[in-house]
Amino acid sequence: MNDIQPYEAADASGLWVFLEQDQGELVGVSLELLGKSRELADRLGTSLTGILLGHQVRDLADQAFAAGADQVLLADHPDLAVYNTEPYTRVVSEALAERKPSIFLLGATPDGRDLAGRLAVRVHTGLTADCTGMDVDPQSGLLKGDVVGFGGGIVATILCPDMRPQMATVRPGIFPAPELAPGRKGAVDEIPVRIREEDKRVKVLERVTAAGLDLTKAPCIVAAGRGIRGELSLIEELARLFGGEIGATRVACDEGWLERERQIGQTGVVTRPKLAICCGISGAIHFTVGIEGAETVVAINTDEEAPIFEAADYCIVDDLFAVLPPLIEQLREAANGGQS
Amino acid sequence: MVSQVAESLLLEDETWERVDKATGGAAAPCFQCGVCTAICPWALVKEETVSIRKMVRQAQLGLPGWSDDLWLCTTCLSCESRCPHEVDITKVILGLRQLAWKERQVPHGLPSLMWDVYRDGNPWARPPSERTAWAKGLDLKDFAPSQDILFYVGCTGSYDPRIQKVARALVGVLGAANVDFGVLGEREPCCGDPARESGNWAYAQKIINDNVALFREIGVGTLVTVSPHCYDMFKNYHTGVGEAFRPLHYSQYLAELVAEEKLKFENELPLTVTFHDPCYLARHNDETEAPRQVLSAIPGLSQVEMPRSGIDTLCCGGGGGRMWQETLPGERFSDLRVQEAAETDADILVTACPHCISCLEDSLAGADTRMRVMDLAEVAAAALGLVPAPPARQPAGATP
Repeated sequence: MNDIQPYEAADASGLWVFLEQDQGELVGVSLELLGKSRELADRLGTSLTGILLGHQVRDLADQAFAAGADQVLLADHPDLAVYNTEPYTRVVSEALAERKPSIFLLGATPDGRDLAGRLAVRVHTGLTADCTGMDVDPQSGLLKGDVVGFGGGIVATILCPDMRPQMATVRPGIFPAPELAPGRKGAVDEIPVRIREEDKRVKVLERVTAAGLDLTKAPCIVAAGRGIRGELSLIEELARLFGGEIGATRVACDEGWLERERQIGQTGVVTRPKLAICCGISGAIHFTVGIEGAETVVAINTDEEAPIFEAADYCIVDDLFAVLPPLIEQLREAANGGQS
Repeated sequence: MVSQVAESLLLEDETWERVDKATGGAAAPCFQCGVCTAICPWALVKEETVSIRKMVRQAQLGLPGWSDDLWLCTTCLSCESRCPHEVDITKVILGLRQLAWKERQVPHGLPSLMWDVYRDGNPWARPPSERTAWAKGLDLKDFAPSQDILFYVGCTGSYDPRIQKVARALVGVLGAANVDFGVLGEREPCCGDPARESGNWAYAQKIINDNVALFREIGVGTLVTVSPHCYDMFKNYHTGVGEAFRPLHYSQYLAELVAEEKLKFENELPLTVTFHDPCYLARHNDETEAPRQVLSAIPGLSQVEMPRSGIDTLCCGGGGGRMWQETLPGERFSDLRVQEAAETDADILVTACPHCISCLEDSLAGADTRMRVMDLAEVAAAALGLVPAPPARQPAGATP
């Protein structure tokens, strides 16, 4: 089954990025990775290669070039149209063994995580999963991946000194999307697709997407608690102006002010937005576990003893009905000012 | 139709053996009288009763498949307190949950709860490095066997800002009684209760083994917990720590200190209180006296009892892993309990369990009453003048 030969640092060169596509579109994290990798490849003095699997996806190579890739390895085949663990593993593991890149990065998406783990075992190398930061050492050529452990308590920097490629998955949204240079050119190199019958155990029959709300992906959450007393208009407007979503405490759901799917916390959703604005929320631990991962937390509450302030970066002790209207006014002005 | 019924009653020996093993044969003595179903507190909040009898019958026959109600049980032990055949019904229910874990048929949220305990050593997904944050500025001693007690704070006392106050109040009370105590700090482990109560006995057992080894190594004698759930775990499931190992709930330890006249309340605390017995003290461990003895030692304090008190206490709804699952509005026992307590005209609803505090305060926030909820440790600290005494009556509408 496994006829892949492992390889070591002395034989390896080049930085690769897995170009994940979904229904013929490159996913955001692949572009983010290309942007960051361009910088890393320049510092290492090496080339940047994207590896792209799919069916009739050749056009996507131009986007990869515009985002910084020097070369795109293309595997174009009907069996690769939709992500499928075994065929993808076959094609990518063979390409790795043949071309021996030094670094191989993938997005920490469901598919990226699935593929990365298998590949690492197949080519017998290490995998730094779910990086939140990344750097290289130009002298040694080593990749340094930051991984958060123990619920955010520590950050470990992980190296893969001996075996190659040095693999890592990176969470979406960690690195900014690069500015695209539309005219930038590169070489497309088709790679062989040798999928075996035994790789085709899973067939995709139908694709169904559940419509609905995904608070875990919201960049900004305006969360409403008992203190909003059912008055949603300010909350809604604030969420709209920030391009975010409305979240709720258990009370706000119990009262029927907001849908249960918006409930944040222990028995709701655990979110990690860039900004969480907690309005009229006392901050019981059952709620705060759902916003611990937020980059910045702003809390507005009339009670200065409210435990929510322990979990907040910015604490506003005031009536939210007094605080929000001028804030909304300012945001509106900023939005209008930006347009004119 | 007839053949279908006949088919559905086919019992498989293999399934029966699995169920019998997981439940330890606990269902066998049941003669299906149904008292358990009748007394289960879910009947107070649901239109349909939760058929405990059916679950026990399922275990007796070894029927496959899981009742939707399996995960509702708060392990309050109401059923067992009235069972004429002394069936260990909770063992049956937790055994069935154990099988559900093996078949990965558990409610949303419980697997991540187990991962939180595994990764962070607590069910609140907080980093182990923050386990001592509750004691900021207190300058506590590390545990040494020469001390009177090991003060075991527990996960909720360590991380939940509300229960941190209880832990700090207790530190004050222990100090007032000149107790020489130590803590384990960042080394303090989870007692394993979230795993045991949600039926993941295999994982609970691993935690217990680790804890027993730790307690042996460091020579733990008297161990005093904040939570009755931790106390129950240590007392009834941590065997082999050593002869000197004596787990106590803090209410029991405070009662001892009062009896030995080491803890004396000299100031009047003119309040009327009613005590809500936590299930894990009253029914699981037969302890209804100690908390009341502590309250009785406070001059000026008068106690009134709710209709459901002592061994007949009404569960707050937070046990059995329910603390980490959603309970719909209108189905929370604590709503009924707050109402029952308010009808006694008590100033304070006192309890002695972090889960009870959380549930009761949550219900209190939505109730129209002037009563407040306090932990016994907080009442004791207030009586000693360590924290401000609560006013006898909160003006209506003062708390948002």
